[in-house]
Amino acid sequence: MSRAAYLLPAGVVRRIDHGLFVVLSRLLALIVLVVVLAVLSPQFLSWDNFLNVMRQASLQFLMAAGLTIVVLTGGIDLAIGAVLGLSACLSASLVSQGYVAWGIIAALAAGAAAGSVNGVLVTFGRIPPFIATYGMLWIAHGLGYVFMKGEVIYGLPEAFRFIGAGFVYGIPVPLIVAVVVLLALHIMLHKTVLGRSIYAIGGNPSAARLSGMPVRARLIFVYMLSGFLSGFAALVVIARINAADSSLGEDLLLPAIATVCLGGTSLFGGVGGIAGTAIGAVILALVVNGMNLLGVQTFWQSGVMGAIILISVLADQIGGSRLIGNRS
Amino acid sequence: MDRRTFLKVSLAASTSGVAVGAASQQVFAQAGKPPTIAFFVKNVTNPFWKGCRIGAEKAAKELGVNLEVVAPTKPDNIEEQTRLVEDWIVKKPDAFVFVPVDYKALVPSIQKANKAGIPVIGYNNRMTDIEQVTYIGSDDEQIEYEVATYLFKSMGGKGKIVHIDGVPAASTAQARKRGLERALKETPGVELLVSQPGQYRRLPAVQVFENLMQRYPVIDAVVSANDDMAVGIAEALAAAGRGGKTKVTGVDGIPDALAAIASGKMFATADFSGHDQAYLAVTAAVRHLRKQPVPKEIQLPIVIIDANNVASFPKTPEERGVPSWDKTIAAQKR
Amino acid sequence: MTESTLHPQLIQRSPALEFVKRAPGALYLLALMAVVLTIFTPEFFTAANLTNVALQVAVLTIVALGMTLVILTEGIDLSLGPVLGLCGVAASLMVVAGYPLIAAIAVAIGIGAALGLLNGSLIAVAGMPPFIVTLGTFGIAQSIATVLTGGDSVVRLPDYYRWFNDGVFMAIPVPIWATAAVFGVTWLLLYRTKFGRYVFAIGGNRQALELAGTYVDVYHIAVYMYAGILTAIASFIMTARMNAAHPTIGVGLEFDAIAAVILGGTSFEKGHGGIAGTIVGALAVGVLRNGLNLLDVGTEWQVAIVGVVIITAVGLDSLRGLNA
Repeated sequence: MSRAAYLLPAGVVRRIDHGLFVVLSRLLALIVLVVVLAVLSPQFLSWDNFLNVMRQASLQFLMAAGLTIVVLTGGIDLAIGAVLGLSACLSASLVSQGYVAWGIIAALAAGAAAGSVNGVLVTFGRIPPFIATYGMLWIAHGLGYVFMKGEVIYGLPEAFRFIGAGFVYGIPVPLIVAVVVLLALHIMLHKTVLGRSIYAIGGNPSAARLSGMPVRARLIFVYMLSGFLSGFAALVVIARINAADSSLGEDLLLPAIATVCLGGTSLFGGVGGIAGTAIGAVILALVVNGMNLLGVQTFWQSGVMGAIILISVLADQIGGSRLIGNRS
Repeated sequence: MDRRTFLKVSLAASTSGVAVGAASQQVFAQAGKPPTIAFFVKNVTNPFWKGCRIGAEKAAKELGVNLEVVAPTKPDNIEEQTRLVEDWIVKKPDAFVFVPVDYKALVPSIQKANKAGIPVIGYNNRMTDIEQVTYIGSDDEQIEYEVATYLFKSMGGKGKIVHIDGVPAASTAQARKRGLERALKETPGVELLVSQPGQYRRLPAVQVFENLMQRYPVIDAVVSANDDMAVGIAEALAAAGRGGKTKVTGVDGIPDALAAIASGKMFATADFSGHDQAYLAVTAAVRHLRKQPVPKEIQLPIVIIDANNVASFPKTPEERGVPSWDKTIAAQKR
Repeated sequence: MTESTLHPQLIQRSPALEFVKRAPGALYLLALMAVVLTIFTPEFFTAANLTNVALQVAVLTIVALGMTLVILTEGIDLSLGPVLGLCGVAASLMVVAGYPLIAAIAVAIGIGAALGLLNGSLIAVAGMPPFIVTLGTFGIAQSIATVLTGGDSVVRLPDYYRWFNDGVFMAIPVPIWATAAVFGVTWLLLYRTKFGRYVFAIGGNRQALELAGTYVDVYHIAVYMYAGILTAIASFIMTARMNAAHPTIGVGLEFDAIAAVILGGTSFEKGHGGIAGTIVGALAVGVLRNGLNLLDVGTEWQVAIVGVVIITAVGLDSLRGLNA
């Protein structure tokens, strides 16, 4: 912690304490939610349902993981859904013909490439991340349509499907994958220079620039990582549903943003973390699961999600500002 | 000229270069001028519309007309299809072969096409309050009724089912739901546990169904409004180890579903042949332009596909034979 | 006296040249597209087509004008799309149920204002990030709209409703009048009133306003309410166009509006920009889409091209230093 204090501007140190508050408050909300649902629905507390929820949360988390890191630098990535769709189509076409290894590489490479383009546009092009990634969203969707020509690819080999539908010692593979990614990213963010610089860029961009760190290179890496993780998530999704079509990923963007916000990562940058996003993904999956179990019409889902976002961030503002003592 | 101006100019030049390339294709295509038919589909993502497109292209090729496929960039987007119709009215093609993404909201735009004197041939989703040369479709209500009745019979008239609906505002979804309700009324032993929309797409349907599986440990059958969702649901059931205990039905007859039926994962589907509808629709359009007789409406026959007859169905729209115009007209009940 | 011997600051700057240098990339894009399309498609430069394009962008322009004010305060409003759907659905349900049109209009404007009030309060008073707040209200508005109709459209609207889109007054269609009126009112508000000055100030230097003792929050909230009200007005045009109200009709509209505003030269940071640029941005988007349709560019390629064009137009502005 003391080394971090050397490297980071003073304001950010206090915000790390805020980060701890955020994670703890999320955990509390999670526990309350679990208790409420257990009381209201008899089917909730079954092992099957637990695995069901965790598997859905894992997919949510993989989508939101890359976005979290981008948001930490004060940017945004609106293209994650479209990049996932494009990567899914590219890799599915290869995997379904038997080229499993090439398919995996294709998804990761496509995601990383798209992310790098975003990064370059944001740094060297000085285009606001909102516009750059919004444009990339259209481009990735368009390329997906051109590639697929309205087809669906289905029927992927069993060995590949293990990634999405398999179990290891009774635990769904996507959950294991998500936990590994969570640990890897957490260590990267908190124990490496790159990670701390990500917080610095988001927390105090001018200080970061003046400190001499290669801000542009780091930012390009961050966007590339987001794209890479989208490609990675694509593999898990197609393994899960055993199909790919060009509309995949369209409605995954907003839940991913909701997950990040729910997890306490601030859109201003410099505050939050991947652990919060993981908890946010679980909370969101629980809410959807709960609504389905209780027979709530799906029409209400977006409204409930919206309300949750508002309440959670509002609570952050009130609770967090009392902790830190100022309104940031 | 400084560097910035140079950049601006070169970008302008390259943009116009691209535009020239795109447009010159059209300029050359105008020469010779066979009739042009604007063929509308709802989106470019659902394989059902690909089948439609292939059927339409076969007809266009046979009859020697030019076919332009028109679809919104945002799938099923009402506002965009409205704009497409307006833009195409300006281009004055010889005919519209049209399916609305929303059969009510697109009425004003098609009325404009009527006013502009463009003949409209409707297919797949019935529209009212407009002038159309003919409508080609299948009776969605009857289809789902027959599929559901067939399913209930195989269940012995008893059991609990779940209904996964399509896009609630779509006329096909509403009609199919009515067919299911009619079948349910006639088979009181079958209970409808819940009906939730899957938006006609695989991933949303799978996510909804995974949660429903938790809520209802015993589901004897799932009636899905289309095949894309049905196959996903069948896969989810198999992954949860409940594949043998729950029958899944869909509608459309896409290749994916035929494969699922052949491998036992799905119980049945109905042939809702977009391919045939589109072929006949384009044929009707050309016949109208050539002043040949065209009936006011063409209903395609309903064929239920299950494990017994799946092998006799062609696997892809490309392999599929085209319907005979004369035979189809002769087979019409009215 | 030649230019080279004079200090740059003493050179007479012609206003025309200044305009050319400062105009957003979208203006050049628009001009370029107009020229190219006129040459390559006989249908573009016809009264019928140009009227079409103007009508098609009317709704987008009105919403984008409200969005401009929001972005000038360094904010963003993602909820405007579903708000459009909700206002449209609410108003048409009332009219179909027999209530007078004036009541429906009042309800629609009330809904737009109320959601704007909610947005503005959470953003200005509670200090929450606009992105998140409006994302939340996006979901809430979407849900309410969908539940009101069960996911279906509202139809069988009375004939007079179509006037909002099809009506013509002195040979100019109603939506164009509406857009012009909204532009006029917004221009007056922005450039001739205290409210307008505060809008720029909230974006440029909020602390200065606070220190000066003004009730900044009131004006900040008013900006979001204004955007909501404009969206409510636009919803009538949209409903009339389809002769039906659909809860999801506005999906994606907010992103298009933001793109139109940014293309028009208003930037997220520092509150630079203005509403004239927004009109150019909206027209550019409309002409681009219309042009791609007229050129028979396949749907799949249209999607990618739109993305490339947006990035290029804004990128050019960045290179020219306009996004600093």
